[in-house]
Amino acid sequence: MTAIVEVREVSKSFGGFMAVHDVSFDLSEGEVTGLVGSNGAGKTTLLNLLYGRLELSEGRISFDGSDISDLPAHQRVRRGLGMVFQHTTVFPELGVRENLRLGAMRKGRGTDASSPAEIDAMLEMIGLTAKQYDIASKLSHGEQQWLEIGMVLLTKPALLLLDEPTSGMTRSEAARMADLCRRLVTERTVRAVVVVEHNIDFIRRVSNRVLVMHRGTIIASGTIDEVQHDQAVRDAFLGRTV
Amino acid sequence: MLAARSRAASISRSRRVRYAEVIFGVVLLALPFIASDVFLIDRFGRYFTWAIFAISVDLIWGFGGVLTFGHAAFFGASGYLVAIFTERAGWFLPLPLWPAIGLAVLCVAMFAFLLSTLAFRGPYPMRGVELAVITLAVAYLLEQYARAGGQITGGQNGILFGERLELFGLDMHRGRGFYWLAGIALVVVYVLVRVFVNRRIGLVVRGIRENEDRVDLLGYDVPSIKIEVFTLSAALAAFGGAFFYVHEGIITPAAVGVAASTQVLLWVALGGRGTLLGPIIGTVVLQHLTATLSGTMLDTWIFVIGALLIVVVVVFPAGVLGFLDRGPAR
Repeated sequence: MTAIVEVREVSKSFGGFMAVHDVSFDLSEGEVTGLVGSNGAGKTTLLNLLYGRLELSEGRISFDGSDISDLPAHQRVRRGLGMVFQHTTVFPELGVRENLRLGAMRKGRGTDASSPAEIDAMLEMIGLTAKQYDIASKLSHGEQQWLEIGMVLLTKPALLLLDEPTSGMTRSEAARMADLCRRLVTERTVRAVVVVEHNIDFIRRVSNRVLVMHRGTIIASGTIDEVQHDQAVRDAFLGRTV
Repeated sequence: MLAARSRAASISRSRRVRYAEVIFGVVLLALPFIASDVFLIDRFGRYFTWAIFAISVDLIWGFGGVLTFGHAAFFGASGYLVAIFTERAGWFLPLPLWPAIGLAVLCVAMFAFLLSTLAFRGPYPMRGVELAVITLAVAYLLEQYARAGGQITGGQNGILFGERLELFGLDMHRGRGFYWLAGIALVVVYVLVRVFVNRRIGLVVRGIRENEDRVDLLGYDVPSIKIEVFTLSAALAAFGGAFFYVHEGIITPAAVGVAASTQVLLWVALGGRGTLLGPIIGTVVLQHLTATLSGTMLDTWIFVIGALLIVVVVVFPAGVLGFLDRGPAR
């Protein structure tokens, strides 16, 4: 499979603390990659390095063969990265439809003109058609998460980064989210997805491949079954046989 | 059904603002025909130039979320530049009034562009309070310079204007002439800014006010947009300031100072930031009340105005027009 993203020997330190240390991996076309690990393992820091919120201390990140290590976040987004946060970052005092327009009409990738039909289709997909004229702050937490996902998808990302997308969602909403993640890749709406998630059932449902982080490094990589039987993973998390 | 109801509520809110727009416009159009007091009409012309100033602050603060404590630096600097360009001799000076006004607006816009580029794209990009402090410092420095500027700024005494506002041979300097000149300038600025905020860029600017980081993560170059809006806002303030001070006939150091910069924030907050019409109403109502009460309640008017402001801010935290537009503030 073609690699969309190549992460090579990436490290990030904050003063004397090494949050991410010498991490290398590829993200391949058509894959949903789960990034798991305990709190403080470095998952969110790694996501922040991928989308450009944090600068690398060492290493290199390539996107479609171009080095994006020094690009600011908005230019990485223009190249095709989309980031969805655990804590929603919608525009609270703007309407639901206006939030989506902001995603749809962004410059840089030929989507300047926001088409009403495109926004209608997204409203349908995220289940917010009935609330399209409401102010975003009036939505529930789950609805705001769907709105943020819709807004980011309208930027037409090639790579979608999701930080704990099921946080605050009901079981049925989490199932809908898992379904969406799979569909996005199988229908080639996006080329790859990375999901940081504590919900292992969700990871099992959506991921082709799982990267396990522990103390800033990747200690295992493979399918969920493979990593669950990995000795390093057992030693790090369980201390017992799976 | 739910979508239809929510859309209807939204339309009804914007209708209320549209009605306010029409009523306010009709009252101001009728005023010079109804009122016989030329001094009163002239005073409304002054309010209009201040209202242009208020719109400029509403653009950067109300829509863009960038609080500035020093916008009078642009409003007043423009007045000073027009005075220097028309009253001082040497090199290409003195200039006729209208080219001087154009050049003053251009100089202020260039200064605002440089200042905002440094603030938003410098080694330490500024946000929120940091920028408010920088603008405060600029206003303070300009005021101090104006006081100490000797031959150039006229020091404490300022500069007297010898030029009069005339257009196509018509005297627009006082009374009804000035009312119409300032009124037309206000309408032009209002329409220009209304078109700007209703375009896609306006939605992005409102997005920056709500969540700058998310706008960045949708792929927009946030510093460029903020620089553009800050520069436009400063140019509009300069445009209003040029008319105001030529009409006043004198400019003094207080014109670029902190007091004038905070006064405009009151007008915008009272009328409703992010509404455009609100700041105009806030300016006209508050300044007219101040002018009227200060003539009748010599010792107590300032307390009455202060109490009124507190009551309005408590009852309408989003401003009067903000209340009509969005309902009670959340």
